Amino acid sequence: MKTEAEIKHALREWIARASGKIDARNLSDETPIVEQRIISSLQVMDLILFLERLSARPVEVDRLKPGVFRDINSIYSGFFHSGSETE
Amino acid sequence: MSEFATTIERLCEASKRDYINPYSSLEWPETLDPEQWFTSPELISLSGSEAYDRLPEPVRKRLSFYEAVNFFSLNIHGEKYLVEGLARRLYARRPGGSESDELTRYFHHFLDEENKHMVYFGGFCMRYAGKIYPDKKMAFPREYEEGEEDFLFFAKIMIFEEIADAFNVRMARDGRLVPLARRINSLHHRDEARHLAFGRRMVKELFTRYSEKWSAGTLEGVREYAGNYLKATWREYYNPEVYRDAGLDSPYEIHSAALADPTGCERRRRISEPCVRYLLENEILVEEPLL
Repeated sequence: MKTEAEIKHALREWIARASGKIDARNLSDETPIVEQRIISSLQVMDLILFLERLSARPVEVDRLKPGVFRDINSIYSGFFHSGSETE
Repeated sequence: MSEFATTIERLCEASKRDYINPYSSLEWPETLDPEQWFTSPELISLSGSEAYDRLPEPVRKRLSFYEAVNFFSLNIHGEKYLVEGLARRLYARRPGGSESDELTRYFHHFLDEENKHMVYFGGFCMRYAGKIYPDKKMAFPREYEEGEEDFLFFAKIMIFEEIADAFNVRMARDGRLVPLARRINSLHHRDEARHLAFGRRMVKELFTRYSEKWSAGTLEGVREYAGNYLKATWREYYNPEVYRDAGLDSPYEIHSAALADPTGCERRRRISEPCVRYLLENEILVEEPLL
C-alpha cells in the first residue's frame, strides 16, 4: 500500500511531466493546476488513466464532483482518501 | 446567396435524397461468434506492436471485437456532444446574414443523422457487449472571445469525424469483417461524407471570420488546442479496458507501450494526414502535431 506522501509525489511528477510548464519542485499540494492551466481539460483524460493505474480501480467520470482536479490535495481526497484504495 | 449558403443548400438536398430508416437498415443476429474480425486487423490499436505479434489469432479476433465496441462507443460520445451543441445552435442568430437560415435547416438533417448513427452504434454495443465504454473526456468552463467557442466546437467535430471516417471507409470495404460490422461502418460513412464536407467549410468560414479579431494569446491557444485535441482523440482509441476485456494481462502497461510504439505513431500520422493538411493549409495549425 502506498502512503499519502508517495501518492502525492507520484501525482506531482506526473503533472510536471504532462504539463512541461512547471518543475515538480515548484508544484505544491495547493497549486491550482486547472486554474493556472498547468493541466488542460484534454490532459485530464490521461490523468484519469494514471489515477486508475495508481489506485487500481476504475474512475467513474460521471460521478466526479466539480473541483476534484483543482490541486494535488483535492485529487488525493477525491481518489485516495478512504485509505484502502491503493495497493 | 453566398457560396457557403449554396453548399449548405446542396447538402440539405442530398440529405433528403439519402434519407434512411435506421430501424430497417440493419439486421441484428441474435448472437455473434466472437472469433471473427470486427475491426480490420491493421486498424487494431496494438497492431504492429510486439504485444500484438505474440497473440494467437483467436485472441486477436476477440480483441478486434472489443476494439469495435470501443470505436462505436467513442462515436456515441462524439455524437452526443455534437447533438447537444447543434441543438443549442438551432435558430441561433448569427452574423453573416444569408446562411443563417440554411445552417438551421442543415442542422436539422445533421441532428437526425447523428441520432441514427447512435442507434446503430448503441444497438451493437448493448446487444453484443452489454455496455458502452465510458467517456473519460472532461471540459472545464471558461470565458471565450467572440466566435472562439463556435470555432472550437466545429473544429473538434471535424477532427473527430475525419479520423472516424478514415476507419469507416477502410472497414466498410474489408471483406474479412463480420457483415454487420461492415454494414455499420458503411452506413456511417454514407452520411459522414456530407458531414465532413460541411465541417471543413464551417471550420474555414469561422476561422476566417473571427481569427483576425482574436488576441495573439487566443489565436495561439486555439492553435494549441486544435493540435492537442487531435492527439487526445487518438489516445481514446487506446483503451486499457478493451485490453482487459480481451483477456490481456497488464492492460495499463500495454496501453503505454502501444502509444509509444513507432508502428502506431506512423499509423496515426498516416490516417490523420488529410485532416492535418487541411488544418495547415488554412493556417489553423502552424506545425504538424506529433501524434
